[in-house]
Amino acid sequence: MSEAHTDGRRRGFPRRRPWRPGRAWLSVPVTAYLMAGLIVPIILIALYSVHLLTNLIFPPAKFDLDTWKSFLPYLHDGTSVYFDRFKTSMAITLIVSTVAVLAAYPLAFYLAFVAHRRRYTLLLVLLAPFFVSYLLRVYAWTVMLSSDGTINSILVELGRAKGHPVEWLFHSKFAIGLVLAYSWIPFVALPIFVVLENLDKRILEAAEDLGANRFTTFRKVTFPLSLPGVIAAFVFVLIPTTGEFVAPSLVGGSDDSMFGNFIQDSFVNTTDWALGAVMAVWLMAIVVVLIAVSAKYLTADLRGPAR
Amino acid sequence: MNAAAGRIARGILSGYFLLMVVFLYAPVVVLVIFSFNDNTTPTLPLAGFTTHWYHVALGNDLLLAAVKRSAAIAALNGVAATLLAILAALALSAPRVFARPAVTALIMLPLVVPYVVLGVGMLVLLKTIGLEQSLASVLFVHVVVSVPYGVLVILPRLQTLDPSIQEAARDLGAGEIAAFVRVTLPLILPAILSSYLIAFTISFDEYAIASFLVPPGHDTFPIFLYSNARTPGLRPQTVAIAGLVIAVSLTLVVAAEIGRRTAERRLEGV
Repeated sequence: MSEAHTDGRRRGFPRRRPWRPGRAWLSVPVTAYLMAGLIVPIILIALYSVHLLTNLIFPPAKFDLDTWKSFLPYLHDGTSVYFDRFKTSMAITLIVSTVAVLAAYPLAFYLAFVAHRRRYTLLLVLLAPFFVSYLLRVYAWTVMLSSDGTINSILVELGRAKGHPVEWLFHSKFAIGLVLAYSWIPFVALPIFVVLENLDKRILEAAEDLGANRFTTFRKVTFPLSLPGVIAAFVFVLIPTTGEFVAPSLVGGSDDSMFGNFIQDSFVNTTDWALGAVMAVWLMAIVVVLIAVSAKYLTADLRGPAR
Repeated sequence: MNAAAGRIARGILSGYFLLMVVFLYAPVVVLVIFSFNDNTTPTLPLAGFTTHWYHVALGNDLLLAAVKRSAAIAALNGVAATLLAILAALALSAPRVFARPAVTALIMLPLVVPYVVLGVGMLVLLKTIGLEQSLASVLFVHVVVSVPYGVLVILPRLQTLDPSIQEAARDLGAGEIAAFVRVTLPLILPAILSSYLIAFTISFDEYAIASFLVPPGHDTFPIFLYSNARTPGLRPQTVAIAGLVIAVSLTLVVAAEIGRRTAERRLEGV
């Protein structure tokens, strides 16, 4: 509101730079802090991954790509258990992100175009579970899914499970996927809603005036225009889920560890951090690639006024 | 024809929305119901009403100590992260900033770094400079992940302020700092409060980073909860604890939203 107001004024009068309270040097503390808490640690991990730092007494620290070579199957013959696990994790992550976006899109659409005046209240209803601790939401599912849990007790009551609990519900890849998608759906709906909400409704009316029916309007106008929100949402899920290790260890089976579990395990339970460091750097590299590919959409003005 | 199709589509969307809300709330509601159930397993039919598990949970000293630790870290995190975020937002709202894209990217970077990398990174840093894991190191990384959220809340508010109000303060003789403290600060106060609440919540709930940095015997609340969650024998009281936390956080969310709307209505037009 006020932006449009000042713009108009600027156009009408001789231009004067508006006084802002900001001073560029105020960025020094936050820059220094993030250097120490974020950039330096990542550099140190990278140094561990090439053996320039080590916590072993022997062999001494010396530049060496051996751990990288054993991790990446393209650099040596044979297979790499860790890299295979990375591929499985990425597959789970991609499925989860896709399911979350598909499930959330109609919710965002409903809020933007059907809910009218109640939409902000309903948005809060949708988002509220996201503010309950992530750990607790995962834990709530263990209560639902476990072999002596709620769903199985209902199935037994109904006679469906014939006295045997349904095993694949819990300690399985299904459980991991369900819990992750469950956790992200409200969050994914948000950027899609923001984009749909800010669409210029006149464009949609123009499409209908020109003879498009509702479905054609959606397919040819609304959906393409909402793609930045969809892609932003997809990447927002993909990135944190690639390093996920809490859900797999609480609802996954013993053989369902994800890449994040491997990284966690190699720093917590082994003394040689080189392999863990390689996997952490690899994870960061994947994240950087994802961001580079989608940067165009992530910087899209998601909160701007309707144009 | 078209109108009827529209009504059907609208009905389907409404129904879907309702179903998803049920799906999103079901596990949480079921958890709360079973926290009052007089049985050690969360199975139907319900066995009868009891507050026994809440008594057991609240009598657990380890739980209370963990909650206190987490609350202290979260409170400090709220202050530190919000202060840094205010400075960062002020810097980014300046007309000219040295290397603005790089500074912005650095401030937003914690949003996209997986928590496992942040936790491992701090572990490696501590090892390199010869320090042990500590609650201070947990706080240090929590500030890193909270700052971008603070900036995302405070910066837009700062940018929508009408510059003429601040100019008026300067014209009336207020110094730069006085104009900021007496004019700008009260106007961005709702954003500052949101930033504090977000930072508090992030820290209070955070497990992944803390799991690398919490020293033995000094569990924070999420660490305590996680180890209880993996102990089936403790399930009834863990469920009760979870029920309490869910009730508290949902109340806070609703209260914060009502507060935000009231504040925005009052500041409308400023």
